[in-house]
Amino acid sequence: MSASLMAFAKWLQDTHWAQWISGSNWVYPFVQLTHFSGLSLWIGTNFALDFRLLGWGKKRQTAADLSNSLFAWNWTGFCIAICGGFMLFAASATKYVVNPAFLIKLGILIPCALVVHIINQKKSRTWGASADTPRIAKIFGLLELLLWLGVMTAAVSIPTFEVPGL
Amino acid sequence: MQHFCEALQQNSWIIALNSSIVISSLFELCHYAGFFLVVGSTALVDLRVLGVAGRSQTATAMSEQLFPWMWTGLIFASVSGFLMFAGDATDFYGASLFRVKMLVLLAALAAGIFVQWQVPRWDRRPTMPLGAKSVALVSLLLWVATILAALEVSAINGVG
Repeated sequence: MSASLMAFAKWLQDTHWAQWISGSNWVYPFVQLTHFSGLSLWIGTNFALDFRLLGWGKKRQTAADLSNSLFAWNWTGFCIAICGGFMLFAASATKYVVNPAFLIKLGILIPCALVVHIINQKKSRTWGASADTPRIAKIFGLLELLLWLGVMTAAVSIPTFEVPGL
Repeated sequence: MQHFCEALQQNSWIIALNSSIVISSLFELCHYAGFFLVVGSTALVDLRVLGVAGRSQTATAMSEQLFPWMWTGLIFASVSGFLMFAGDATDFYGASLFRVKMLVLLAALAAGIFVQWQVPRWDRRPTMPLGAKSVALVSLLLWVATILAALEVSAINGVG
């Protein structure tokens, strides 16, 4: 763990607003609410597109149409989740920067999942032009699905890897 | 109900499942993934009824595409949620906010099912009726309230 990252975490955690979040029984759940509401929109719409690329479920809309109709709220959900996530991070930053599950989640899994998501959204216009999707679309749909499940697995594992005393 | 919760919590299968970190993490993963799928798919249909999402598609087309995933997510979230509840059944039963969460959740589900049932009828009108938009808005707010109530169960009642 680099000293500069820990120094940044300490500075962030000591800011007035971060202490306000961590010190209140009522504010903290509202910040969590922001994070979870954003995640519901983001993950829910990601999964719906991945399932469509995989050819699962109804084929009422093509993957191209579905991607187009979900696009704006998909990224709105992402922005809400990032805002809430940053505030949650700030409230306990020194705990998070030494937590291996958090570091794997933020440093490896989220960037990989985001890259695959952007590829899927861009390519869904060609892959999803007709009702049946090609094999490459199915592979990328499954890959994104597994990466987001990996992100969630790392997230639920964070308490298991907490360093006591921080 | 208290006796049922005690018996459930002392069931050897429930004890074995909840004492494993891997299995209890798997329950949490299923619960979150299922819940995100329920809320995400329902919210998008509600936003379409409100006229602020996917306007290139009809509300019926979006509803037919997304609502099967609401039901899939609900099955995952309910089964994993029950198994998580079972591990600490007496604590959850005694937590006042857990009861509030379940009531709000049932109301949100009822609103979601009502939207799913009525969307084809609303779509046949030249414009989306005001009543339809009101129900969609209530459905959205109920899901936000469900998430908040779930978070307050652990923050205020210290369970979960």
